[in-house]
Amino acid sequence: MSLEEFKNRNTGQQSYKMLDIKHTPQSGIGKFGQVVERTVKGELFVGLWVTLREMGNALFKDNMHTIKYPLEKLPISPRYRAIHDMLRLLESGHYRCIGCGLCEKICISDCIKMDTKYDENQRKEVTEYTINFGRCIFCGYCAEVCPELAIVHGGRYETASEQRASFSLFEDMLTPIDALKQQKEYDGFGAVSPNADDTIKQTPLAY
Amino acid sequence: MSNEITIKIDGVEYKTQEGEYILNAARANNIFVPAICYLTRCSPTLACRICLVEADGKRVYACNAKAKDGMEVTTSTEEILEERRAIMEVYDVNHPLQCGVCDQSGECELQNYTLELAVDSQSYMIPDTKRESVDWSSILHYDAGLCIVCERCVTVCKDMMGDAAIKTGPRGGEKLGKELKDSMPKDAYAMWNKLQKSVIIPSNGTAETNCSDCGECIAVCPVGALVSRDFVYTTNAWDLKRIPATCAHCSSGCQIYYETKPASIEDNTEKIFRVTNEWNYVSLCGAGRFGYDFENRVNGKDEIAFNNAVDALTKADTIRFNSLISNEEALMLQTLKEKYGKKLVNSDAYAFQKFLKYYGKPSGHLLYGSDFKEIMTTDFVISVGASLRNDNPNARYAFNNIQKMNKGAGLYFHPIADSLIADMGKNVVSFTHKVGLEEAALYLILDLFADKEKLEESTKSYLDSFHFTETITIKEKVMETVTETVVDEATGESKEVSKKVPKMVEKEVEVERNSLVTLLGGNDKFAETFEKMMKKKESFSLIVGEDLYYHPKAENLAHLVALIEKSCNMKVAMIPPKTNSLGVALLCELDEKVEGYTVGYNENGDFRLSALGDGDLDMPAMNQQEGTLTNMHKRVTPTNAALEYEGYELNDLMNALECGELLTIDWTPRLASKRGFQALAFDDLPNGYTNEGQENRGYLLKNLGRRSGKNEPKPFSEKFVIEGEIAYRCNPQRQFNDFSDKAHQIFETFSLSASTAKAKALGEKVEVDFGKSTLLFDVVADERMEGDIVSIPDFKSANDIYTLFGSDRYKTVTIRKV
Amino acid sequence: MEATVLPEVTSLGVIIKGIIILAIISAVAGFGTYIERKILAFMQRRLGPMHVGPFGLLQIAADGIKLFTQEDIIPQNANKFIFQIAPAITAATAFIALAAVPVFPDFTIPEFIPLLGGTFVPSIAADINVGILFVLGMMAAGLYGPLLAGMAQANKWGIIGSARTAIQFLSYEVVTGLSILAPIMLVGSLSLVDFNEYQAGGFTSWLIWQQPVAFVLFLIAGFAETNRTPFDLLEHEAEVVSGYATEYSGMRWGMFFIGEYANMITVAILASVMFLGGYNDLGFIAGWFIIIGKIAFFFFLMLWVRASWPHIRPDQLMWLCWKVLMPLAMVNILITAIVVMI
Repeated sequence: MSLEEFKNRNTGQQSYKMLDIKHTPQSGIGKFGQVVERTVKGELFVGLWVTLREMGNALFKDNMHTIKYPLEKLPISPRYRAIHDMLRLLESGHYRCIGCGLCEKICISDCIKMDTKYDENQRKEVTEYTINFGRCIFCGYCAEVCPELAIVHGGRYETASEQRASFSLFEDMLTPIDALKQQKEYDGFGAVSPNADDTIKQTPLAY
Repeated sequence: MSNEITIKIDGVEYKTQEGEYILNAARANNIFVPAICYLTRCSPTLACRICLVEADGKRVYACNAKAKDGMEVTTSTEEILEERRAIMEVYDVNHPLQCGVCDQSGECELQNYTLELAVDSQSYMIPDTKRESVDWSSILHYDAGLCIVCERCVTVCKDMMGDAAIKTGPRGGEKLGKELKDSMPKDAYAMWNKLQKSVIIPSNGTAETNCSDCGECIAVCPVGALVSRDFVYTTNAWDLKRIPATCAHCSSGCQIYYETKPASIEDNTEKIFRVTNEWNYVSLCGAGRFGYDFENRVNGKDEIAFNNAVDALTKADTIRFNSLISNEEALMLQTLKEKYGKKLVNSDAYAFQKFLKYYGKPSGHLLYGSDFKEIMTTDFVISVGASLRNDNPNARYAFNNIQKMNKGAGLYFHPIADSLIADMGKNVVSFTHKVGLEEAALYLILDLFADKEKLEESTKSYLDSFHFTETITIKEKVMETVTETVVDEATGESKEVSKKVPKMVEKEVEVERNSLVTLLGGNDKFAETFEKMMKKKESFSLIVGEDLYYHPKAENLAHLVALIEKSCNMKVAMIPPKTNSLGVALLCELDEKVEGYTVGYNENGDFRLSALGDGDLDMPAMNQQEGTLTNMHKRVTPTNAALEYEGYELNDLMNALECGELLTIDWTPRLASKRGFQALAFDDLPNGYTNEGQENRGYLLKNLGRRSGKNEPKPFSEKFVIEGEIAYRCNPQRQFNDFSDKAHQIFETFSLSASTAKAKALGEKVEVDFGKSTLLFDVVADERMEGDIVSIPDFKSANDIYTLFGSDRYKTVTIRKV
Repeated sequence: MEATVLPEVTSLGVIIKGIIILAIISAVAGFGTYIERKILAFMQRRLGPMHVGPFGLLQIAADGIKLFTQEDIIPQNANKFIFQIAPAITAATAFIALAAVPVFPDFTIPEFIPLLGGTFVPSIAADINVGILFVLGMMAAGLYGPLLAGMAQANKWGIIGSARTAIQFLSYEVVTGLSILAPIMLVGSLSLVDFNEYQAGGFTSWLIWQQPVAFVLFLIAGFAETNRTPFDLLEHEAEVVSGYATEYSGMRWGMFFIGEYANMITVAILASVMFLGGYNDLGFIAGWFIIIGKIAFFFFLMLWVRASWPHIRPDQLMWLCWKVLMPLAMVNILITAIVVMI
C-alpha cells in the first residue's frame, strides 16, 4: 500500500464540483483581456443577483435564518455537553451516584470533588459533591466513565450566573424528585450501546 | 546455615539459598509467579493454589516447595494456566461487582489476577450465601461479602502478630455438586470446595476479636474485605498521596507511608487518611497504623511566643526532653549543651545510655551486636526484662515469628506472666520471677548456654555453685518378658510362650539440678523440658528489655549481657525504651537531675516547647517534620513531612541562638560528629525495600569497636528483690507516648492495668500512693496479665510518671480503693 | 428649452435651505446606517436590528445616544489639535459640497407661517455656475479629514490608513474628473441645473444613454471616493484595524461616519442629476419623487455591492485606476470630442 493511498482520508461519498480557475495572465494585454472578458461576462452581476435573490427569499419566502435566541431556541443534540445533570433511579427515586470517584479521577481539569462516608445502611454515601465550573471544560469524560449513568451532561447551556457556585452542588444538578417522570436518559458518550445485550458474555445463573 | 544453590527457572539459571521456597526464589529474581494467599515471612497457607508451578516435571505449589540444587522450574505451562484460570474464575463466582465503591479501589489483587489470567467469561456458578459485614472491634471492619477466604489475615495474625485472633469459620454455603469434581480442574475444585465452606470469624467464639488491634490483617487483605472502620468508604486509594516515613511511636522505627489528601471539599488542608506499610517486609502495630493524626496544627508563626522561647532558652539551666525527637533535634540540643552549657535531662534515654556505657566496656562494642531482623532468623530466643507484649511490638513479633516459622523455642523471663507469650508456641517457657532477680536470670542463661571454656575461672565456679544433684524417684516403663504356659485346646499340647508386658517400675535417679531455676520460679521438670527445647537448635538470641536499664544493678547486668553475648554464641539486641532513645543516647550527653530554670520540650518545664499544641511555643510533630530517627535495628531512617507546618521549628530557635542551620535537614550530615553516624545528606537517604526484602532505608550505624576489658560480673544478690504491692511502669499495647494518645483511633486510656483477678479485687477506681505523691487511676482488667503486679502507664508526659518511679521501673506503692 | 422664471433667492431662503440640508442629510445619514444594517442583514438572511423600537427603527436613536455619551479618548502621543479637527473637516467638506447640489425641488414657504412665510427656498443652496467643479473640489478637500486623522493619532494603523487615503482619493479624483468631462462637453455647462435642464426631455434624453462609459467610470470612481466596498481600503478591518479611525471614539468617530454617508448621498445625487435625468418629471411621476427614488437606488446600490462583492487589494486598486479606468476615460473624452466637433 502506497503512502498516497494511506493518506487518502476521503472516506465518504464525495460530490465536489471542481471550479475552472484559469491561471492569472502575466502579460499586460492578457490582464486587460481578462478585465474585458470579466466585464463583458458580467460575473459581478451574478454576485449581485445572488444577494438580491437571498434578500427576496429571506423577506418574502420566510427563509430567514436568524433564531431570536432568548425567545426561540434551537433543539440540541442529546449528545450535547452542557451543565451536568445527576440522574435518579426511576424505580426508587434514589440518586444513582454510588460515590465511586471515577469522575473525580478522570476529570482532566481536576474540577470534580466528592466527599463520601459509610452510612447506616452499610452503603457508600455521597455527602458532598461539587464541580468547579470555572475550570470544567465540558469534555464529557465524567459522563463517559460513570458506571451508573449517574452523572451525565444535560442541556442547560445558559450558564451565566451571579455566583460561580450556582450550578455546582449535588442538589443543583440532581433531578428534582417531583420531576422524576420527566427525567430523560442520556444517549451521549458512556451510555449503553443499543446492541449491548448482544456483545456481552452471559454469566451462567441457572438456579 | 544457608548454602547457595543454583536452580533453573524457565530455562534461566538463578542463585538462591538452600531451603528457600521456589516462590521466594523467583520473586527475589524478579520472576512473576502468581500467588494470593502466600505471605513472605509467614508459613504457606495453601489456600489459593494459584502458585502452581512445574518443578522437575511434577506439579508443586511454589509457596510450599523448597528449592533444591539443580531444580528446573517452569512457571507456566498450558495446563497450569488452565488450572490458574479456573481458580480465578472460581474466585470471581458471586464476588460482588461493586468495585466502584470498594475501598480497595484498584489495589485489588483479585482484580489484578483476574485480568492477568484473562478471565473474560464465567463457567461456574453456585447460589450465593448472604454474608453480613461486621465490626470485629473498634477498629476492624470485615465485609464477608467481599472476602475470598485466602486466609492471609489468619496467617499473619498467627505467624507474625502472635494474636491468632481470627480463624476460618462456617459459611453456610451450598454444597458443590458432585459432577463438578470430575468436570473441573482438580485444584480449582479443591479450592472452591474450601472456599464455599468458610468465612473468617474471630477465634474466641464471640463476635469481637480479642487482639491488639494492629490492623495488619487490613494491610495484607488482597481485596476490600478488611478495612479499618474509620477508613471505610471515605476515599479512594488513588486519591491519596503516599509519603514515605518512619513511624514515630516506638523504637522499632517501622517503615510506613502516610497517605494524605485534602480533608474535604470545605477544608482543603491535607489530612492523613491512613497509614500503610510494605507488609511483605515490615509489620506494624496498632499505634503505627492508626495513631497517625497527632499533628500540631498552628496558624502561622507566633512571634511573641518565639521571642519568649528564645529568652527562656537563653535563661535556661536545663532542657528537659524525651526521646520523641529526631536525631537532628537531639544534635541541636547537644549543640546547646556544648555551646551554652545547658543541662540536658531525658528520663527515658538516660538509663539506656548508662546501660550502653556499662555494656560497652567489657563487650568492646559501642552497641549491642545484633538486631531484631537477625534475631528473627534464629530458632531459640530468650527475652529478659521486657514486657514483650507492651514494650515493643517488633520484638514481640520476632519472638512469635521464631516460634511459628523456625520451629523455634523461647524463654521468657519476666515478673509478670503473660498468657499471650506463653501461647505463642509449645516450646515457650515462661519464668515468672520475683522483681529484682534479673541477674539470676542472666546467670541461668549463662549457665545453660555458655561455652564454659570462654568463661573466667571465678565465673565458672560461681555458676557451678548453683548446681546440685538430687535423687528423685521416677516411674519408668520397663518391658518385662513373661513366660507363660499355654495349652493349645485343639491339640492339647502345652507350649511355652514368651510375651513382653509393660510394667511400671519405680527407680531412683540422680538428677543434676540448678537452684537458679527454682529461685526464678521454674518448673522442677525444667531440665527435661530444656533438653527437648534444645533439639535441632542452631542459633540463639537474647532480647534485652527496659527492666534491666532501670535495675539498681544495671552495671552488673550490662556486664552479664556482654558476657552472654561473647561466651554463648548468642545474638543480643536491646529494646530502647522510647522512639529515639538510641539516637539520643548516642548523640547527647545527658544529665541526671533537673536544675534551675527548665525549658521542657514535650515535657514539663518552666517554659514548654510542645508539639502537642499545649505549650508556650508550638513545635512540629513527627509527621510534620523531616529528619532521621535511630531505631532499635541500629538504623538511621529518614522520615518525611506528611503534613504542612507553618510555625517555628527547633532549628529556628537555634538560629536565634546563633548556632542554627538553614534547614533542619542540614543537620543530618552533621550527625557524623558523633560516634557511629555517617555524613550523609538527608536527601540521599533511601527509604524502601528491595524485592528480596532487603531493607534499604537510611543507613546502619557503625558499631565501633574498642578494646574490651576483663569481664567478671559480680555475684547476684537478692537484696534488691522487692515484694508487696508493686507497680510496674508499662504502657498499654497501643500506647507509647502523648502522640499516640492524641490520635483518635487509639482508645487505650491512661489507666492502671491489672490481671483480671487483681482488677476485680481493686474495683473501678484506685488511688496509687508513690510515697511522694498520689495519683488517681481507673482500673482496667488485662486478660493477658497474670499475678498481682499492676502496671501504670507513662505515656502522658504531663503526669511525669518517670519522676515518680525515679530510677526504677518497679516500685512498691500503696494502692487504695476509691 | 425655456428657463422658467424663478422668484428671487434671498439669503434667508439660503439659510433655511442650509439648515434643511444639514438637518435632513444628518438624519438621513443616521437613517442610512440603519438601512445599511438592515439591507446587509436581509441579504445574509438575517434580521438586523430588531429590538429598539418597531423593526429596530429606534436603533438610530440608541446609536446616537451611545455616540454622544461615549468617552472621547485622545491618545497620549496624538497631535491633539489636528486629532480634534480632523473629523470636523470630513463632515464640513461633505456638507459644503452639498451646497452646490440640488437636493430638493424649490418651494415657497406658505404665507400662513409667521416670520418665514413667503420665503422662497431654492432647490440648490448656491447655484454657482461651476457647481460640478465645486462639488468635486469640496469632495477632494474631504481627503484632508482621514489623512490628518490618521497622521495625528500616533498609531501605525492610522498612518497606513492615511497613506491609503492619499493614494486612493488622489488617484480616483482623476478618474472622476475625466469621466464627467465628456458629459460636460455635451451639456456645455458646469452647472448642475443646466445638466438637469439638458435632460428634461424625458427618459430617452438621459445622459446615460449618450455616455454609458462615463456613467460607469463615474460610478466606480464614486465608490472609491466615498470609501465604499469594494474600495474600502482606508479602514478595512481585516488589514488595518480601522485605518485612520482606529483611535477615534464617540462623536468624533460619528462625524467621520456622517461625513461618509453625506458623501454617499452627494455621489448618489450627482449620478442621478448628471446621468439619470435629474429631478425632471417622468411622465406622470413628480420630479421630486423621482429624484428621491433615484438617490435611493444609488444608495441601495452601494449597500448591495457591499453585500455582494469582496474588496480588492491596494495594488489592484491602483492598477484599475491608472491602467484601466483612466485610459478608458481618456478614450471616452476623445470620442465624445470628435462626435461633438462633427
